[in-house]
Amino acid sequence: MAEITFDAVTKIFGDDVRAVDELSLHVADGEFMVLVGPSGCGKTTALRMLAGLEDITSGSLSIGGAVVNNVLPKDRDVAMVFQNYALYPHMSVEKNIGFALKIRGDSKSEIKRKVEEAAATLHLTDYLERRPKALSGGQRQRVAMGRAIVRSPRAFLMDEPLSNLDAQLRVEMRLEIARIQRILGVATVYVTHDQVEAMTMGDRVAVLRGGRLQQVDTPQDLYDHPINEFVAGFMGSPPMNLVRCHVRPGNDRVEVDFGDQTVELPWHYTSSHELPASGLDVVVGVRPEDVIITDASSPNTIKTRVERREALGAEILVHLTHLDSNADTASSDPGALRDISRRAPLVAKMGPRVHVAVGDVLSVQISPEHAHFFDATTGVTLRRR
Amino acid sequence: MTSLLTPPRASDSPDEPTRPPRATRSKLGRWALFFAMIVIAVIMLYPFWVMIVTSLKSEAQFLAGQGFSWLSWKNLSATIPIGQEVLSSTIVCSASILVILLVGLPAGFAFSKLRFRTSTAVFLVIVSAMMVPLQAILMPEFVNVTKLGLTGGYWGAILVYAALGTPFSVFLFTTYFRGVPDELIEAGIVDGLGYFGALWRLVLPIAVPAIATVTVLQFIQIWDDLLVGLLFIQNTSERPITVGLAVLAAGRTTSIPELMAGSLISALPAMLVYLGFQRYLVKGLTMGIDR
Repeated sequence: MAEITFDAVTKIFGDDVRAVDELSLHVADGEFMVLVGPSGCGKTTALRMLAGLEDITSGSLSIGGAVVNNVLPKDRDVAMVFQNYALYPHMSVEKNIGFALKIRGDSKSEIKRKVEEAAATLHLTDYLERRPKALSGGQRQRVAMGRAIVRSPRAFLMDEPLSNLDAQLRVEMRLEIARIQRILGVATVYVTHDQVEAMTMGDRVAVLRGGRLQQVDTPQDLYDHPINEFVAGFMGSPPMNLVRCHVRPGNDRVEVDFGDQTVELPWHYTSSHELPASGLDVVVGVRPEDVIITDASSPNTIKTRVERREALGAEILVHLTHLDSNADTASSDPGALRDISRRAPLVAKMGPRVHVAVGDVLSVQISPEHAHFFDATTGVTLRRR
Repeated sequence: MTSLLTPPRASDSPDEPTRPPRATRSKLGRWALFFAMIVIAVIMLYPFWVMIVTSLKSEAQFLAGQGFSWLSWKNLSATIPIGQEVLSSTIVCSASILVILLVGLPAGFAFSKLRFRTSTAVFLVIVSAMMVPLQAILMPEFVNVTKLGLTGGYWGAILVYAALGTPFSVFLFTTYFRGVPDELIEAGIVDGLGYFGALWRLVLPIAVPAIATVTVLQFIQIWDDLLVGLLFIQNTSERPITVGLAVLAAGRTTSIPELMAGSLISALPAMLVYLGFQRYLVKGLTMGIDR
């Protein structure tokens, strides 16, 4: 078992495609680190560099304190689970799981013992004689896991191992992987584009975008305190509402203009955030669960109209537009935010018993303690650290 | 019941012939195809039938058009060393194919799975060699092989056949290995294999269709070839069956049944190899198409 350290690791493909840009990240021994981000953000490249399947352009990568930039994959003592499992089609499950041990030169009895142990852990004992093509997706995924755990490696590397499974199996397997990782206590780097997987599995989550690390934190801190608009928009389903507004600290309250409407937020935001007294154009972020339906007579409400209603069973997502608003969806960096901006300025998450219909006019409040402020130009949080 | 508002279809008109239903048309099509395949099979198999029947007659029986005899087979083995020639053909074929596989497999693996700067250019140069006809390079090859002193026995022919067959095998293996997921190789490498280990232990076992395809096609080509054997294997004790048959036809005998017996012996191994590997052959030749 070992810790993993990326120190300003960069990977450039060809002459100018910067897949990973100055990535610095520490994964503690036994920690479950999730790398998450949209397609092309460099997460898989980072993992492949860690496995030794890609050369490192610059920076240093160490496992267990030893720099491994020039160490061959077979000498790194890491195990990898691939997206399509990469099981050896001509070998039985038993041989697949024991293959690495055979190459390592373990004795036959030792291989048999370890394979049987791994198979028992993964509920594969009845399938040891089968070939991969005779297994279901979930069973194949477990064989891939078995092939990794049987080696007792210093680190597990997992490249979107659940993306080929159906939704129900994915939920089961993510619990299973998290359980096995906790039992074994091996440092794990898990790549996914699914923020639900990231939130539910990782001890910490590293969010990447365009090859650059945006933020690394515990799932809850990442959700509660996103460092910029990208992280705010990426983490959470549905994502955070991001609305361009003007804020004005004054009268012991912070006044926020949503187009023609103004709401007041508590004064403490001026101490926790960089909000100049002269006022500032910002992007206000509100999680859908922090948009609350209230009476029209209540103070600090925004008048909205229901544009769309999505009933998800346990909750309803209501897409709202300002009735008289000039407020626009956040677009501090038009290119950067195109992927997270939405036509309806607000999405509210409501209980399943709330009766709303398309076209209804609703008054909503922003939960006063849960507003986020981002710089309208850079997208970076205005929260003081 | 037809609605009053529905206009009558053209086929409903009593003046026009009624079109048969789709199922009947499909059945007719299948029978037509089946009949065409029988005709083609008869055309293809008739020469073999003539060869077999003729070889089982004596000269007199052949001229008389009736009778059965093993005489032509007995005479054939007395006229030429048929066993030795079949053995020579087998040695040359096997050794050439072995060299072709030994070169083609790692080359195909490298071109499909390894990234190096000149990969595409080198691959195109090798593959373009497939377009050069044997006759165009025969003389330079003969000069080179003679200079190496290899024109007497098997080695000259083996080298020439290997050189001629390798570009096709490289092409075929490259195409095949491109269909093998990179992750399979990478999983092996992370598990502790090197590239040669991955080729030998992971790729080779799943490359059987490609290996069979190269083997069958090269076997048929080499076994049936006369020119290279004639030029490069000059020791009469090592000449292959095709050269033996040419010598036979050139004057050792004028007996048609005897020539048919020799031709049958010459054709049979290639047919057997083809029949033995045909299920892989189709897979090997169509690989990559369904991707």
